[in-house]
Amino acid sequence: MTLFIQQFFNGLSLGGVYCLAAIGLTLVFGVLRIPNLAHGALYMVGAYLTYFFLTSAGVPYILAIALAALVLAGIGIGMERVVFHPLRNAPHTHHMIAAAGAMFFLHSLVQAIWGADFRRMESPITGRVEILGTQVSWQRVTIVITAVVVLIALTWFIKKTVHGQSIEAVEQDRVGASLVGINPNRVSMLTFGLAAALVAVAAGLVAPINLIYPTMGDVIMVKVFAIIILGGLGSIPGAIVGGFTLGLAEAMATTYVSAVAGEVIAFVVLILVLAIRPTGLLTKAVQR
Amino acid sequence: MSQKSRSTLRPLIALSTVSLLALTSCGNGGGDGEGGTITIGVTGPQSGGGALYGENVEAGIRLAIDELNEQGVTIDGEEYTVEMRALDDEYQPNAAATNAQRLVEQDDASVVFVPHAGGIHAAQEINTSRSEFLIGAYSSDRQIVERDNELTFMIPPTFASYSEPFIELFQDQGAERLGLLATASEYGQQWTTMMTQDWEGAGGEVLSNNNFDYGAVSDFASAVASALSEEPDVILVGGPSQTTALVIEEARDQGYEGGFMIMDQAKFEEMELFTDPENLNNSAGPKPVAEFDDPGTDELVERFAEEITEERPLTAETSLNFQAVALVVKAMEVAGTHEDPTAIREALPEAATEVDDVFRVSGFPDVVTDEGLLISDTLEGAHRDSEGNYEYFPVEIE
Repeated sequence: MTLFIQQFFNGLSLGGVYCLAAIGLTLVFGVLRIPNLAHGALYMVGAYLTYFFLTSAGVPYILAIALAALVLAGIGIGMERVVFHPLRNAPHTHHMIAAAGAMFFLHSLVQAIWGADFRRMESPITGRVEILGTQVSWQRVTIVITAVVVLIALTWFIKKTVHGQSIEAVEQDRVGASLVGINPNRVSMLTFGLAAALVAVAAGLVAPINLIYPTMGDVIMVKVFAIIILGGLGSIPGAIVGGFTLGLAEAMATTYVSAVAGEVIAFVVLILVLAIRPTGLLTKAVQR
Repeated sequence: MSQKSRSTLRPLIALSTVSLLALTSCGNGGGDGEGGTITIGVTGPQSGGGALYGENVEAGIRLAIDELNEQGVTIDGEEYTVEMRALDDEYQPNAAATNAQRLVEQDDASVVFVPHAGGIHAAQEINTSRSEFLIGAYSSDRQIVERDNELTFMIPPTFASYSEPFIELFQDQGAERLGLLATASEYGQQWTTMMTQDWEGAGGEVLSNNNFDYGAVSDFASAVASALSEEPDVILVGGPSQTTALVIEEARDQGYEGGFMIMDQAKFEEMELFTDPENLNNSAGPKPVAEFDDPGTDELVERFAEEITEERPLTAETSLNFQAVALVVKAMEVAGTHEDPTAIREALPEAATEVDDVFRVSGFPDVVTDEGLLISDTLEGAHRDSEGNYEYFPVEIE
């Protein structure tokens, strides 16, 4: 039982990170209808930025994550302007190629600045807390709490503010939205900025329990794609459900089947969803 | 439309011309006027997940070449300059074979260093046929020399050599239950299979296999918790040093107090930088390079810090390749040719006794076997005891 509770918390913290990373990807897909293959690379840059602010600039941990999110939002907006905006009328394959190009560019850029070395980011949040008879590290508790807080804030932003509502409007109907005076350009930029900020928070949270290196985004990228397909492309609740489901499924499969099963589970779930309900669990009817 | 596409094409053409020029000038340049040039080929990962590993290997080769050029290389009465030509293979076997072919045909390399098992295997399929070349194989899997490839020499000690002393060490302490938590690469699986057999053969019990791919998992906690739930006395871990250190730290954080057997890919000196060194107490692994007492150890440690980087320590990835380059160039001198790979290979055993002391850093080979194994009589493993002190034990290469 202790083992189960411990793995439950491991799965929950992993799920929190998956969620934050997946929401950005699903937002971009919802608004621009493109799978942003460079999302994992943005995650990696987010981790390096947090590392830079924390270690080299000496900023406190939470503030370092916030600064990284801010800078990465800028990079995300820049990417939308430079890479995707010029291709807005091109066929979809062009977006994918451009995104892959952006990914390689970010890999090389980071390797040129910080080198190929693995880096370790020490979190100031240390120690463990006893929850229901098991030891859970404060870092994991922080991940879960931060993820929940950010998710609530995001929901409020999308549902209650004008900017957020404009994102949802464009998601639902791009032409209709511009007819009522919403500037789709501005929404595209906003979406990219928001997606980048969210993925930076995910990276900043997970960096202390993992390592930072130029290809760290590749691992999460595959998982995150599985999550948004599982939850339904473009669906925010889908990304949340999908993220936590996958995090927990990985932890439980590792414990009760085998470690290899933990790595494979994402794809097994993905195949099942594609076979039984190809639109994903929580998607509305696909628009367009 | 056509106007536009031409204007975007032009800079592209210019760029590719420039890079082509840069490439060709790389190939020919270097030799400063006098004598000929010996090219040492290297194909390894320069980008992607293995980039750091590739850098370490190249650093060893470069440091050796600089030293050799300073001392002067004379083959058959003529002076030569040695240079390195390194290509990126991103850890891909096929790319490694293609690169090797290019290095041999375009750059006239007669020796190519390949630092990964897959690439070595791919290169071994072409190195004795159309274009002959000698492979400097840096990977510790014994299969490399069991394929009857007469133009291969294997640089690191085989990992099987560590099995017996590791088991003896922990079973003497009373360990009975072995947990498995190594990386799930082919190399990790081979280590695991070997250790499972040997541990059971020595009367111990092997618990369930919790190996997972160190490079493809975002969170180690689940696999670690699962391994610890069976209450092992000692756990087999290993993969890249940095991730291995995190796996060990996670196990200690979850309350594990037993020992660790660390596969030879992970190095104590690197792990100490990534986790509180106390976590590493009560474990066995390869001996840190800086702890060797060989004649050239101190100088290479210093040169690595000065010329390569101070951010990470010198490891066997650099020092063993450093030694191997010195060995192979000495073999060229002994054989009197830098172009005939067969003659160079045959001269390796004699060359091993003649290499300058400055190149003897961490278990320099005393013997080169017919198979192509480099055997050092002074190789040792390291045991970090429960107080955090290192003691060393002999490891016999087999």
